[in-house]
Amino acid sequence: MASALLSGSKYSDGLTVVGISLCTAVVCEAISWILIYRTASYKSLKSTIDKASKKLETMKTTDASPASSNLLKKSSKIKKMDRVESSLKESSRDLSIFKFKSGGVVALVLFMVFGLLNSLFEGKAVAKIPFVPIRLVQKMSHRGLTGDDMTDCSMAFLYLLCSISIRTNLQKFLGFSPPRGAAGAGLFPMPDPKSS
Amino acid sequence: MRERKSAKLNIQQQQQQHQNGHLSPFKLAKLLDPDASWDKDQLGDVLHWIRQGLALLCGLLWGAIPLVGGVWFLLFLVLSSGIIYAYYALVLKVDEEEFGGHWALLQEGVFASISLFLLAWILVYSLAHF
Repeated sequence: MASALLSGSKYSDGLTVVGISLCTAVVCEAISWILIYRTASYKSLKSTIDKASKKLETMKTTDASPASSNLLKKSSKIKKMDRVESSLKESSRDLSIFKFKSGGVVALVLFMVFGLLNSLFEGKAVAKIPFVPIRLVQKMSHRGLTGDDMTDCSMAFLYLLCSISIRTNLQKFLGFSPPRGAAGAGLFPMPDPKSS
Repeated sequence: MRERKSAKLNIQQQQQQHQNGHLSPFKLAKLLDPDASWDKDQLGDVLHWIRQGLALLCGLLWGAIPLVGGVWFLLFLVLSSGIIYAYYALVLKVDEEEFGGHWALLQEGVFASISLFLLAWILVYSLAHF
């Protein structure tokens, strides 16, 4: 009964987009695991970054304590912190380069899937947005659609939402997210771009 | 020698369990324990998953009722951030300075949760009401 209801819905294509996005996310993570995450280089770089960032945090915490008032000790501590920080930046950079090299295959898969979805749903509203998006978002949400109803949702916008939500959480669940200490792993963590 | 080995084995087993992510009664109790000690990664992960859970719940609810209008999106943002803040400040009673400040804790998983909320809201609204 539920499937009859869903298939009868005007916007059942939205489920197709979500289903394809989910499968694509799983395939991309599988490819990333084969090319990146299971390699010794990745494990070693990740371990280095984790250790360095934890060491840096500990040093910053002890540095803030009032007991470290001796100027000579403080300046040698600052030099040590600088060394650890530059080693952390170097390891983060090496990790990015390593992932970038192997991420080309995943990028190709994503490009092909987007092309397939575009050919299937171009010019067709696959869902209805329950509010009128801001003008900047409308460029994506109403992409390729005719008419003036800005609550019509294009495949591209729905696919974007699926990509961000499904892939970020899948990476997090599988433990493939970039380490917190790595550069660029901060403000708004997107699905790891170097593996896409 | 044997005691050291068994202690080492225990530590290794605990680390393995932590890495495998198996939920145990001990870990679930820790989620509500204000005296528990947290490291940055553990707390960050917990806050991330709470945000995702809230996003999914609100998206399904907003879409089912349905709630229509941009104001409900803003309400979700305020509600989810408020709940996260209340959790770490009032339930866990953590010192946010040890974890990089309020912003570092509040931004854990926020982008993914916004996407997940919009996805759930749009899908349920479209499928249930058209």
